[in-house]
Order: sequence, then structure tokens, then C-alpha cells
Amino acid sequence: MKKFDVIIIGGGHNGLVASSYLAKKGKKVLVIEKNEHVGGLAEYANSLNCISPIIKKELNINIHNIEDTNYIISLEDNQNHTILENKKDKLSFIKTNADQSDQKTFLSIINNYKLFSKTLGSFMYQKPPRVKSGKRSDLFQLISMGWNIRKLGKKNMRELLRVIGLNIADDLEDNLNNDNLKSLLSHESVLGSNLGPRSPGSILTLLYKQAINDNIFNLKNIEVTNYINQLEDYCKKNTVEIIKSSEVKKIVTKDNSVTGIQLNNDEIIESKYVMSNADPKTTYLNLLGAEILDTDFIRRIKNFRNKGNVAKLELVLENEINIKNIDKKMYGKFIYAPSIKYIEHAFNANKYNQYSKNPCLEFYVNANTLSANIYYVPYLVNASHQENEVIERCVGILRKFIPDMKIKKQELITPNQMEEKYNIAGGHWHHGDLEIDQLFMMRPFYGSSQYSTPVNGLYLCSAGTHPGGGLTGINGINAAKKLIEDTK
Amino acid sequence: MNTEKISYKKPLLETPFHERTFEHCFANDWYRWAGYKVAKEYSSTELEYTSMRNTAGVIDITPMHKYEIKGKDAKSFINKLITKDITKIQSNQVAYGIWCNEDGMVIDDGTIFCLNENHYRIFCAERNLNWFCDTATGFNVTIEDISQSIAALAFQGPLSCKILNLLKVENIENLKPFHFNDFNLEKHNVTISRTGFSGDLGYEIWCDPSQAIDVWDSLFKFNRDYKVLAAGMNALEMVRIEAGFIQPNVDFMSAEQALRPNRMRNPYELGLGWLVNLEKEYFTGKQALIRHKENGPEKKLVGLDVEGDKPAVGSVLYDNIKKNQAKEIGIVTAAMWSPVLKSNIAIGFVNKEHYNLGSNVYAEIYHPEELDYRKIWAECKVVKKQFFNNPRKNAIPALT
Repeated sequence: MKKFDVIIIGGGHNGLVASSYLAKKGKKVLVIEKNEHVGGLAEYANSLNCISPIIKKELNINIHNIEDTNYIISLEDNQNHTILENKKDKLSFIKTNADQSDQKTFLSIINNYKLFSKTLGSFMYQKPPRVKSGKRSDLFQLISMGWNIRKLGKKNMRELLRVIGLNIADDLEDNLNNDNLKSLLSHESVLGSNLGPRSPGSILTLLYKQAINDNIFNLKNIEVTNYINQLEDYCKKNTVEIIKSSEVKKIVTKDNSVTGIQLNNDEIIESKYVMSNADPKTTYLNLLGAEILDTDFIRRIKNFRNKGNVAKLELVLENEINIKNIDKKMYGKFIYAPSIKYIEHAFNANKYNQYSKNPCLEFYVNANTLSANIYYVPYLVNASHQENEVIERCVGILRKFIPDMKIKKQELITPNQMEEKYNIAGGHWHHGDLEIDQLFMMRPFYGSSQYSTPVNGLYLCSAGTHPGGGLTGINGINAAKKLIEDTK
Repeated sequence: MNTEKISYKKPLLETPFHERTFEHCFANDWYRWAGYKVAKEYSSTELEYTSMRNTAGVIDITPMHKYEIKGKDAKSFINKLITKDITKIQSNQVAYGIWCNEDGMVIDDGTIFCLNENHYRIFCAERNLNWFCDTATGFNVTIEDISQSIAALAFQGPLSCKILNLLKVENIENLKPFHFNDFNLEKHNVTISRTGFSGDLGYEIWCDPSQAIDVWDSLFKFNRDYKVLAAGMNALEMVRIEAGFIQPNVDFMSAEQALRPNRMRNPYELGLGWLVNLEKEYFTGKQALIRHKENGPEKKLVGLDVEGDKPAVGSVLYDNIKKNQAKEIGIVTAAMWSPVLKSNIAIGFVNKEHYNLGSNVYAEIYHPEELDYRKIWAECKVVKKQFFNNPRKNAIPALT
């Protein structure tokens, strides 16, 4: 039987990145993927631009940005849409019903947020420090984090510390009058997380996402499949073995150390190191088993908030899509979230595990296909979604803007289906909410930060670790580095 | 709305024995225990104590928390929970065990009754349902709080077996310490275990709440000759100090309740290292306990033989009594004048330099004397915690 230095569970994006880096350092790596193809949730992404430039450079990934100019359209029921242009990271208004001073404030708020997120962004690429570890490197890192915040200057530092725990609605309502502009930013802050615009911490979520994406709006299209294929090729070239359509049943341990894994067909593959690209809850509770974990630790696993609430709707229409009142060359990212109140009402239902009667949407169109993210469609425990009803509600909203809609094909992916398909407990984009107690050295939770686990030889590299999801690949790099550092 | 159910109208629950404990309780002095009221003192604490040390005393311990563990993983669940190896415990045996958190700090102690390997009961002083349920993640077990469905009496004292014998409880004298069985006590079938908190011969009787009054009455049936007394919590506190048993939130803070991390204690500090089996493959806190054992305890709970006759309640301990040179080295958690041992005893924490048996430390005692305090420096000798350890506790057959 073949021996491997490291077994990676799950050939998702971070799993592939980690195996590339491990292979680069001469480790013999085996990747086990449940599905027929690697990439995992990456195929689900339709517009992400956050892949770490380090990866592009170090792994010779060759992807080109499709367009330089992008449009963001905030749809209004009265067809008086707001259109923003994003040209080389510079944002400007094409059309809006907001007055001059509101436009100015809006752009200055975004600039402010950009500044703050840059500060947060400086921690992104590092492995977060471990508090009270007694190690000098961790201490230096903490100090440098503090210094980065201090560097903002007195006024800006105070402002950052003021808004960091604030809800986005408060900050926007203090400064803006136009509902459409307020809801536009609120939308970006709450999409994909379990927050409403009035939930404390929603600004931090926005800043954090911006720090990952390097832009407040997710824009540049990349060819995800192309990218994943390049990663896979890189792995193969470096003798990484990838087994597809094979599921790991259990991580085998002895005396608090990993000894290997057991596949679903009961075959056991031995290895002293296992890196899990599955989300933390699945890794600990299903693959490892709670029996060998301390009770306090189990509590923290259970309290990890990982309830997804975004569903994806794919529509294929019979004819080409025409959106009322918008020039075709300005098609880009469409957002339907008319006001803060509207989003907050949609969020209300989510609190009680129901889906909102009036959901919010974000969608992209391409000829006769439309793909939309719908929120809030919560992950349901012991219940199933009435899919047709969800689709009907969305189509109802879409018809306001696309009157001549004849649907040829429709497909809805709920968080529950996402859980099943990609083995992500809770079906959450980021494997867990990006909130202050689940970020940095607290991600996923105390006792499991820095990509390591209480079990010797077991590492995490999924989106559940720092810095979260969003196709950055940083999780994979950092986890690989940590493992190499520990094996030295 | 039924006003009787409003909590402020009826603040504390009454145990199934309340009808009788109320009659006995001349002092009408009640202690609050897990939402129940139990007598602190019936008539005189010293008399009640004397009955436990000379004849037998009856204590209502119904408020104790009782948990039923059932299922095919019951044994492995208990083994993960407690620090001791439960696999050595057979049916009808009782184990004394402690459970720790991930930092190896003691949460609580309790007795674990093994009915069979798929069925256990845990009796403990603090609420633990939450901890047990979280520990049970991944195990095929059900955990139920059965505190309300079992009435319990402690029947402690040198004549306890004799009286049960007179009550025709068959073969009770051959029940081994830390064993239990079902017995007929007059007209009722009850569970009797040879366990207790007094350090002397004694039993605990577990019955259905409907049988409670009958069971209580039968224990007092031979009172013309033997003078069994109902004993309150104060008397129980006296016997448990003499026996050297420790109590969570009195001698140490339960790790689940302590707010300050440095108030939590590990088993080695409490002198309970013998309850920790580090050979076991896995239990909560194992990794931390390996480290604690290696480092050795910084302080330790020890027995103190105190000079003089003034109880050292709440005293601070010092290494010497020279002015301006005395260094604080510990604190007394429980102290009393022991009538049966005729000595002044205490339990307390003493630091590393002084916790070996035979060391001398000094207690600063503030003794109240008619609205004034007299400060006494008393020399104390570090001794074993079990001040009172009568061989009849473990004798088989038991004294009849």
C-alpha cells in the first residue's frame, strides 16, 4: 500500500491550494474528493475577484480579468433605478435619484470603509496570532495589529473603533437620505451572513468582506472552472494523487494523534497528517467524532454559527433577457433590496426559521440565463423548503423588471441542498458567520485557531478558518505553511 | 390562575418527607438546597451530631440531583465523563468519581450507581444536566433528570445496620461498602446502598416518593431504646468535616460556576489524584491533567490539627508569626471543634512549601467573645484529611 505524508479531505478550492503548497515542499499528498470533480463550492461562485495574488504568482495561475468596467444596478419598483459604474476601482454615478450631497456622502462613506478595511486587510494573509501562547511571534503580531489600527491617525482610529461594533443601518441613516443608496450598502453587508441591517456588527462584516474582496462590491468575473482546472493540473504535475467520487467516513486516531482515514468502503489509508477541507462542524462531529473531544470544546463546536441563508436560483429563459429601463451595455450586478426596512423585514422571517415573503435578490444575466442569490432562505432543521413557493416569489419580483419572462428551465439550490451536495454543515457560504467572535484568532473557535486542532496531526484548511470563505485561497496557504512548520 | 403556583407565594419546594421533617423541626430553621427546603437544625445541632456518632441519624437528602443514564453507550459515556475507570465497576456497585473540564479543573463529584452496563445513575450536589448532555454528544445514550422521582434518606451511624436488622431488612449486614441492592423495608421495596457522608457505618435509602413517610417512620420505630434523631444540615456539615469529605462551592469552586479562573481547582490540588486514571484512552480534561500531574499542585487541600479549642473558621494561614515577616500561605475552608475526637480540626488550602504531612503552619483565628473578637495565633500541623475513620465503616458483616 502507498504511504502518504498528508491526506487532504475534500478537493475544494482550499484543499487544492493546500495540496499544491504541500507538494511544492516535497510532501506526498493524497486528496480525497466526494464528488466527481474537484473545486467544491467554487463552482457556485459567479463573480469573485478575491483570489490571493500570491497564489496567482507562486502557482503560475493564469487568469485574466474579463472586464475593467462594471456596473451595479440597484432596482427600484418605480423603475427609477440607480446605476453605479465601477471603472478601475473608481466608483461613480451614472444615474440616480439621489441629490448631489447624498451622492457625495455615499462615495465618501465608501472611501472611509475602504480605508478601514485596508487596515483589517493587513491581517488577512497572516495566520492569526494565538492569544496567551507565550510565543514572541504571536505577541509581535498582536502588537503589529494594534499598530496598524493606530496608524490610521487619531480621528480615523476613533471612527473605526466607533463603527466596528455598530449596525450598518445606524451609520447610513445618520449620513444618507436616499433609501436606495442606504439599501445598496446594507445589501452588501448582510448578503451571505446571518445578519440584518440592524444587527450589531453588520459594519464589521462589510469591512471584512471588502478586505477579502479588495472591493466593496464583488465584481470582476473570473472563469472559475478554468482556475480550478489550472489548480488541479498544478497538483497533478507535482505528484499529488487525487481520488474522486470517494468519501471519507472517519478520521482514525489513537492516543490523541491521527493515524489515518477510513473511507466509506471501510478501506483504511494510513498517514500521520490529515488536513480537513470540510467545515469545522463536519470535521469534528462527523469525521473525528465527539467522543474524543473535550466537552467544553464540543460546546464551542455546537455554538459555531453556521446557518446558511442564501439560496441560488438558476433560470433559463426562452428569449434573451431585457431589463426594463436599462441600457443593455450597462448590465452587471443587479440588486433588488429597495430599502433598509425591506431587508430588515426579510430578515425577521429568518430569525424564526422561515423564508421571507418578500426576499432580497442579487442577480446577473447572460443572454437568456439568469442566476440569482436569494436571501433570506434559511437552512432548515428537520424540515424541507417549499421550493416552488420560493421560486414563485422570486419570479414575481423579477417580472417587475423583466415583463416578458418565459421560463424554460429553473433550478433552486437551497442551503439544505448545498449542505448535502458539498458536505457543508448548515450550507453556509463561508462555513460560518463572519462576525466579531468568529474572526481572526477566534475563527472557527477558541482551541481550534491557527489551522490546528486539539488532535495531533489534524489540521483544518476550510473556509471555516481564518480568513473565511470567498475563494481567497489564503486558508489553504496558511494551513499548509502551519503543517510544514510543525513537521520541521 | 392558581396563586399557589406563583413562586413568591410558595418559594421553596417541600420534599416528600416534609410532613415529618416539619414536625421534628422545632427550630423551624430551613436550608435552601436546589429549590427545596431541608432542615438546617431540628432542635440542637450537637444532639443531632451525637446521634450520628453514637446511634444513628436520619438526613433528608432528597434535593440531591439525580440523573439516569440509559443506552448502549452508557458505559463509554460515563468513562468519558469521569476521570476514573468505570469499566471496573460491576452491576450493583457504586463508584465515587469526579468530572473535570478541558482545563482539568474539577466541576463536581458524585456517586455513580451501576444498575447494569447500559444503565447508570449519577447522584451529585450541583446541577449537571447541561454538562452531561454536552458530554453525551456522539454517544447513544439518554440522560434524564430524575431528581423529583426518587426520595432519599441518609441513615448514618454505628447502629444503623442494627436498626435495619431489627426492621427485618434481610441480609443487610452483608451489604459491602459501595454496593447497593433492593431490599424489603417493612412493606416497601426500596434500594439501599452502603454509602454516606459521615465516615462511619451508614446507608442511603432510595425510594419512591409515595413510600417516603412510611420509610421515615420505620426508621424511628425502635426509638425507645435507640434514640434515632432526625439530623439537619449543620450536623451533616460536622460529620463530613470529621470524615474529610469535600464539598463543591464550599471547599473549592466548581469549574462550571467559578468566575475567576484562578479559583478553579484540579484533582491533585484537592487530594483527589487517586481518582484520576491517566491510562484511560480518553476522558474530558485528560491532556490538561497529564500536565497538572507533571507540574505537581501549587497548593493542596489538607487536614489541619489546630492548637487550642477555638475553631479556625475562615482563618488565613501563615508560615510564621514573626511580626512583619509572616507570609500568607493558605486559607481554611472548613473548621470545627470535633466532639468525638476531642480536637480542633480544619480543612484548608496550603501552598507547595507547606503541604507535606507534618509541616507546621499558623492560623490567625478571630474568636468572637461577647461582642468582641479575640485574635489568636494557633499553630497547626498538616495531617490527613480523614480525621475520623472508624474501621466499622468498612467491616463485613456490618456491626449489628
